Amino acid sequence: MALIKTQPTPESVTEEVRRHPRDCAGLLAQLTDPDPTVRRWAARDLADCPDISPVLVERLHQEADVSVREVIVTTLTGLGDAAAVAGLVECLRSEDAALRNEAIEAMRQLPDAVAPIMRGLLADPDPDVRIFAVNILESFCYPEVEAWLIAVIDHDPHVNVCATAVDLLGEIGTLAARESLLRLKARFANEPYIRFAADLALERLCES
Amino acid sequence: MKRILIVDDAATVRLYHREILEAANFTVEEAMNGIEGLEKTLRSPFDLYLVDINMPKLDGYGFLRELRGLDLPQAPAIMISTEAEASDARLAYAAGANLYLIKPVRPNQLLIQVRLLLGEVCP
Repeated sequence: MALIKTQPTPESVTEEVRRHPRDCAGLLAQLTDPDPTVRRWAARDLADCPDISPVLVERLHQEADVSVREVIVTTLTGLGDAAAVAGLVECLRSEDAALRNEAIEAMRQLPDAVAPIMRGLLADPDPDVRIFAVNILESFCYPEVEAWLIAVIDHDPHVNVCATAVDLLGEIGTLAARESLLRLKARFANEPYIRFAADLALERLCES
Repeated sequence: MKRILIVDDAATVRLYHREILEAANFTVEEAMNGIEGLEKTLRSPFDLYLVDINMPKLDGYGFLRELRGLDLPQAPAIMISTEAEASDARLAYAAGANLYLIKPVRPNQLLIQVRLLLGEVCP
């Protein structure tokens, strides 16, 4: 006869972990608990506490466990207030590539909160931040996306910012982007990648 | 023919590098993120890897760290990124990259470095 080992169900684990106090002060304390499961639940349940975004943002920069970080980002995305968005913007400047990617994913889900600051992000002095801003636009449901991308390829001096915008215009661009793509090719005539990507985008515009 | 895996979430970048490498008679496969790259590697390891940094699911640093932990012959890896800071290159080498190149990479530059790392030309 096969030996069937009794395992605690996920629900019983959940109950155990959540037996800690669920008031805001208790949850805040649990956000630094040594057990990542406790921190995950705290990060999730803190969504109901007032003015919690700055605390979660601060914790996000210190949290080493990826699964806890993902929950913090999900909670911040759900909150979607100005402090949450500002915190996500700061993550774009992090040296941690995984954290940057989590912030990009989260900001894609907040078009109404992120759109008002998008022009600022696309004009950031740091070209890496401008590239990440273009990455956010990849699946960003907002009517101005194409216009923003066209402005980038018309004006941004950095080849990689333009390259990232061209890649996306090749996917979502319309004939409105045609003249700007031609101008970009002329502006970066000595860059093989820009010529390649702009030609590909122009081809796709004609097909669509 | 030597097999090269391009790990990059940008389809246009993958196509650009693929065309350059295939024109030089390399066999090329693509992965859209680090997880897919590891899956393809476990099915059949490659002779060289071209790896982007910023990718969803598993970024380039994570991919290289996992790759270097696999019980496989260690193939060279070129990390290709838009990030031009010295700290980015340091992180890439620490993760296991053999070379760090900054985008956009010119076709000749890429081919020379690939052939050098594959031991096909002398430095």
